[in-house]
Amino acid sequence: MEEKELSPQDSIVLIQSMIDRAKNTVADDSFYFLLWGWLVFAASIIQYVLKVVFQSPYHPMAWLLMFVGVVVSIFHGARQSRKRTVRTYVEEQLDYLWISIFFSYILFGFIFARFGWKNCFSFYMGLYAIGSFVTGRALKFSPLVWGAIGSWLLAIVATFTPFDVNILLCALAIIVSYIIPGYLLKSRYRHMQAHV
Amino acid sequence: MFKDLDPILHSQLRLAIVSLLISVKEAEFTFLKEKTNATAGNLSVQINKLKEAGYIEIVKQFKDNYPQTICKITRSGILAFENYVQSLHSYLQVTPIDKPGIKK
Repeated sequence: MEEKELSPQDSIVLIQSMIDRAKNTVADDSFYFLLWGWLVFAASIIQYVLKVVFQSPYHPMAWLLMFVGVVVSIFHGARQSRKRTVRTYVEEQLDYLWISIFFSYILFGFIFARFGWKNCFSFYMGLYAIGSFVTGRALKFSPLVWGAIGSWLLAIVATFTPFDVNILLCALAIIVSYIIPGYLLKSRYRHMQAHV
Repeated sequence: MFKDLDPILHSQLRLAIVSLLISVKEAEFTFLKEKTNATAGNLSVQINKLKEAGYIEIVKQFKDNYPQTICKITRSGILAFENYVQSLHSYLQVTPIDKPGIKK
């Protein structure tokens, strides 16, 4: 950047262009949505098959897949943090959101383990929706917001349906709130990268 | 009356640096270099001037055995930027009245 005498108009244009450049610095946030989306989807389907088709008492074991998500997320997060050259306020706030959601999953797991799992899926779908909704609003990305609304509606439906159906509703909720928006977010990121 | 423009900020590269830092929580030297297209030497000089003025803080550390310089705007940097933008507004609001046929 060459130094030159700045007029007030030049200054305004410069400030605007730098703010725009900083705004265009977007991270690929789709990774975690797709990772957790597919893991929850797989766990739901495995649990359904084990419970309904094979009538196995070990059907809750399907959710051990979530540990894979924790390990992969930790490694991916560490790698991303090494590569990162800038940290935005939105990224920081979203990190806090997802950390709080993670601890809420653990808390819910503890509560359901003590008092029964009968209505657990409505609560989990509610948590998927919170994560998608806040992230969608923060990133100004409406598919996440619509996915969240879908997940909230499915959470209400799940209060009227039996547990076996709720397993499938959970799979559907994760498709609308994580997987579809995740792919759309990835495509938006690639599009923005191509035009920076 | 015109407000005086802060001489620390009224420089192309320093203003660019502060405008970038006002939009993010913190940024590495490499990020600022990429976005401003400045040379490393010039950027380093201007960053130090901003630091001496108390407008930004610089953290030097090692990441994977490589030195890393992280810059972050300070509270007084934010205030100075806000005052600078306000001063610009004073100038720009007066500009149209300077046109011929418009009464001052």
